[in-house]
Amino acid sequence: MVLACLAATIVFSLASPWFLTIENLTTVARASVELLIVSLGMTIVLAVGGIDLTVGVTMAIASFFVGRALMIAVPAPLAALLGPLVGIFLGAVTAGVIVLGSVPPIVATLGLYGVFRATIYALLGGEWLSGLPDVLAPLVRPTILGIPSVAFELAALYVLAWGVFRWTPLGVWWLAIGGADAASQLAGVPVRRAKTAAYLASGLLAGIAGAFYVAQYRNVEMTTGSTIALDAIVASVLGGASVTGGRVSVLGTALGVILFRILQNGFVLIGVPSLWEQVVAGLLLLAVLATENAAKLRALVMAR
Amino acid sequence: MSATTTRLLGLLALWLVLLAALAIALPGFFRASTVTSVLQFSTILALVTLGQSLVVLSGGGGIDLSVGGVVSLCGLTMAAVLQIGWGAAAAIAVSIALGAALGLANGVLVTRLGIVPLIATLGSGYVYAGLAIALTGGAPIRGGGAWLTSLGRGLIGIVPAHFALLVLPAYALAAALLRFTPAGPWIYALGGNETAARLTGIPTGRVRTILYGASGLLAGLAAVVATAWFGSARPNIGQNLELESLTAALLGGVAITGGSGGVAPPLAAVLFLISLKTGIQLANLNTIWQVGTIGLLLVASVLADRFIPGGRRQ
Repeated sequence: MVLACLAATIVFSLASPWFLTIENLTTVARASVELLIVSLGMTIVLAVGGIDLTVGVTMAIASFFVGRALMIAVPAPLAALLGPLVGIFLGAVTAGVIVLGSVPPIVATLGLYGVFRATIYALLGGEWLSGLPDVLAPLVRPTILGIPSVAFELAALYVLAWGVFRWTPLGVWWLAIGGADAASQLAGVPVRRAKTAAYLASGLLAGIAGAFYVAQYRNVEMTTGSTIALDAIVASVLGGASVTGGRVSVLGTALGVILFRILQNGFVLIGVPSLWEQVVAGLLLLAVLATENAAKLRALVMAR
Repeated sequence: MSATTTRLLGLLALWLVLLAALAIALPGFFRASTVTSVLQFSTILALVTLGQSLVVLSGGGGIDLSVGGVVSLCGLTMAAVLQIGWGAAAAIAVSIALGAALGLANGVLVTRLGIVPLIATLGSGYVYAGLAIALTGGAPIRGGGAWLTSLGRGLIGIVPAHFALLVLPAYALAAALLRFTPAGPWIYALGGNETAARLTGIPTGRVRTILYGASGLLAGLAAVVATAWFGSARPNIGQNLELESLTAALLGGVAITGGSGGVAPPLAAVLFLISLKTGIQLANLNTIWQVGTIGLLLVASVLADRFIPGGRRQ
C-alpha cells in the first residue's frame, strides 16, 4: 500500500512538475479530510458485511445544521458539536431500518439515500448556504510544528478506531459478524447490538466530516457529499477491506484514501478532465476486486 | 389464491386509492391525456424493472445497480449513430446490442470474477454513467427520424405505441418463460438454493450471466424508447432508475433474497410509481420529492413484507 502510494507519487511527479510542490500536496491533503473521516465509518460498516450509501447525504445534512447554527451565531464549539449529533441521529435511523427491520443494507441505504436527499433539499429550500462565518477555523487551520492541526485530529480518530478493532470486544464482534453472521450469533456475539453500533459509528463519523466540511469550505449546497459514498467504498477496498465483511485494515483505509486522492489529483494534472473522475473511481474499484479474486482463485487451483 | 395474485390485487387497490387521492387533490387529473402520459413514462421504467426483477429473482444477492448508467450510455450511443447517418434500424440494433453487452459484462464480473453483485454493479454503474457524462461533456445529443418519432410518440387509441408493442409483449414473454420453459424452474431454484440448483445440474453461472445480459438488453431497449420519444439523448436520462426499478420490483413482491415472486405485480407497481411521480409533477413540486417518496416506498415496502401479518417472511 505504502509502495503503491510512493509509486503513484513518483509517476505523477515525473509526468507533471507541478505535482510534487508543497501547494499541490497541501491541496491533496486538504481534499482528503472529509473522505478520511467518512471512509473510516465505511470501513466499520464493511467489516460487519454491510454497506452504507447514505454517508454523503448524512454529511450534507450534518453540515447544513452546523452552518445554520453558525448563521444564527451559536457559539462555535456548540455548532460544531451539532455535526456529530445529527450524524448519530441519522445513523440511528439507518441502523433501525437495517437491524430492527432486517432489511438488506443495500436496499435500506439506497432508499434512505433518496429520503435524505429530499430532506437536504427541503432544509436548503433550493438555496445555498454560503459565506458562513469563519469561526470553525481553529478546527483545521492552526499548525503545530508546521503541521496543520487537522492532521493530529485525524490521526487521533484513526488510532481510536484501530484501538477499537484491536483491543475491544466490539471490534472483535464486528469482524466476527462480517466473517460469519449466523455462527457468531451462536457463539454468543450480540449481533444486533454490534451491527447497530457499526451504523451509528458510520453516521457519527459522517456527521463529524460535516463539521469539518463547514470548517474548510464555509458553504453547503445540494451536491455536497454527492460522490463521497462511492469514494469511501473505493478507498476502503483499496486499503484491503473485504466487501463481504470480516476483514478490514484501518491503516490501509487511510492509505487507500491518500492513494485515491493522489490518483485523482494526478490524473487532473496530466490533463484528464475531472469529468472522468467517476469512471476512474468505478474502474479502480472493479480492477482491485477482480485482481484480488483472480489471485484467490489461482491460489485455490494451486492448492489442489 | 397464490401470493402473486394477492400481491397484484393489493397493488391495484393501492393504486386506486392513490388515483382517488390525486383526483381530489388535483382537479383535472383525470383526462385521457393523463392516462397516455402515465403509460408513456411507464414504458422506460417497466422495461428496466423487468430486468431488475429477473436479476433479483435469481438470488445470490442479485441486484443490478447499473441500469441507470446503461440507459444513459445506450441512449447517447443510439443518438450518435443516428447523427452519423446509419439509419434508425441500425441505431436501434446498436443500442440494444450495447445494452446486452454491458449487462453481460456485469454477469462476468459477478459469476466469473466472483465480485458481489451490489459492488460489481455499483462500480460498473458508475463507470457507465460516468462515461455518458465524460464522453459528451454533459451535453445532450440530438437524433430523431420520422418513423422513430412514430415509435416514440405514436398512439394506439390512448395507449402509447411503445407500451402496447414493447412492454406488454416483453412481460408476456417473461411470464411465459417463467411458467412454461425450464428457464422458470431454473431461475426459481437458483434463487431458492444455489448449491442445490448447481447439484441438480443447472448451469448456475450461465443462467445468472444471461439474466444480467437480459437486464442490460432491456435497459438498451428502454434507451431506444427514450431517444425515440424525446428526439434526443441526455447523458443523465437514466438517473435514479436503479432506485426506481428496485422499488418497483420489491413493491411488486419479488423477494430481495430471490426465489419467489412474479413479473405481473412489478408491472402494476410501475404503474403505481409512475402515477405517483406524475401526481408530484402535476402538483408542481421539485423532482427531488419523487426521489424522496420512492426511497421511502422502497424502505416501507421491505419493512411491510416483514412486519405485516400474512406478509412474506424473509
